[in-house]
Amino acid sequence: MKAAGLGLALPSAMLAIFFITVSRVEDASAASKQDVQAKLAYCEVCHGVSAQGFHGYYPIPRLAGQQTEYLENQLQAFVEHRRTNNIMFNVGHVLSPAMITALAANFRDLNPKPLGGAPKELVAAGEKIFEQGVPDASVPACASCHGPEAKGNGPFPRLAGQLFDYVSNKLTNWDKERGQNPAKPDTSAIMQPIAHSLTEPQIKAVAAYLSYLE
Amino acid sequence: MVVSFQLALQAAVLTVALVGASRADDVQAKLAYCKDCHGPSAQGYRGFFPIPRLAGQQTEYLENQLRAFVEHRRTNNIMFNVAHALSPAMITALAANFRHLNPNPIGGAPKQLVATGKTIFEDGVPDANVAACAACHGPDATGRGQIPRLAGQLYPYLIKELTNWGKERGQNPARPDTSAIMSPVAHSLTNRQIEAVAAYVSSLR
Repeated sequence: MKAAGLGLALPSAMLAIFFITVSRVEDASAASKQDVQAKLAYCEVCHGVSAQGFHGYYPIPRLAGQQTEYLENQLQAFVEHRRTNNIMFNVGHVLSPAMITALAANFRDLNPKPLGGAPKELVAAGEKIFEQGVPDASVPACASCHGPEAKGNGPFPRLAGQLFDYVSNKLTNWDKERGQNPAKPDTSAIMQPIAHSLTEPQIKAVAAYLSYLE
Repeated sequence: MVVSFQLALQAAVLTVALVGASRADDVQAKLAYCKDCHGPSAQGYRGFFPIPRLAGQQTEYLENQLRAFVEHRRTNNIMFNVAHALSPAMITALAANFRHLNPNPIGGAPKQLVATGKTIFEDGVPDANVAACAACHGPDATGRGQIPRLAGQLYPYLIKELTNWGKERGQNPARPDTSAIMSPVAHSLTNRQIEAVAAYVSSLR
């Protein structure tokens, strides 16, 4: 009896996996190459032709080389009101999951030079903060999560080459922009005490350092 | 020796003063010339063509456009002739002057389009891959640096530019410029959407 039940359960489980796989493949192919290219061109209007970032009215972040997991999570965060940004809410809420995956994969493979332009005299102090943190202020080394080259890993974003004023703004306004939906707490909580503990000159220094990393 | 040095110094001071004075006069004369067409407060003017508002415009944008006419990046025979006679110092002086003007918008756009235009300006048209205008031009459409102020710009001028973008801007293949950013945006907007967003920004102060 038990053996027969198991025998039935196994094929039906396999069948279920088969169907899920098929539907995923169909879902992904639903984002046609043409649609993805059109949407990429749309992203690049603001984020730059190589997604290197752009100084519009706001500093518009570099997406090139970004971790796919981070990028996908942020697009979801805009839609779920975890991250406050009206423009990106509108952009994000029309994207299918398959499109989000396709866009993130495309940006991951881009590698333009950083835009630069940050005050060079801050770079040395920023490098020290990035690699060692500020132990007296209970700020851990940025490198411990974002990696020694600031390339990020999975949910931890790449920071290398990110725009100076974008990084400065994010760290300054962390509490007002991230983790804004109490019903859906997210990984942005990790950065909250760090952003809070950094002084303004420290934020500027570490942002300057990151903005020049390739 | 000392006397001749003092003389030379005085002459030099006098020369600097004269150059400064003639420059101020020249700038005022040139501004009056611009305002013949662009309006006495550079608020824009409906001549045979819609002539754009320059008041409050970003200096970086204005300087780039004047160079664009000369370099045949932007097609406009009248403005080519105007611009190619301007020295770089004059271009800087003119742009700085226009930046500080703040007349009321001319208005005259269909009011019933304003609400739709506001939505497009603030949200874009995500389904049509049109980015939110506000992302680059700012929530008040006042622009920043190379990105122009649109607030108070003439309704027919905006329609003409957005409709003809591909034929007027980025026309010199040897010198690609920032106008390329707007190319897919202008192309993706329908005529109705162009009219709506033009009506909205033309009403902004």
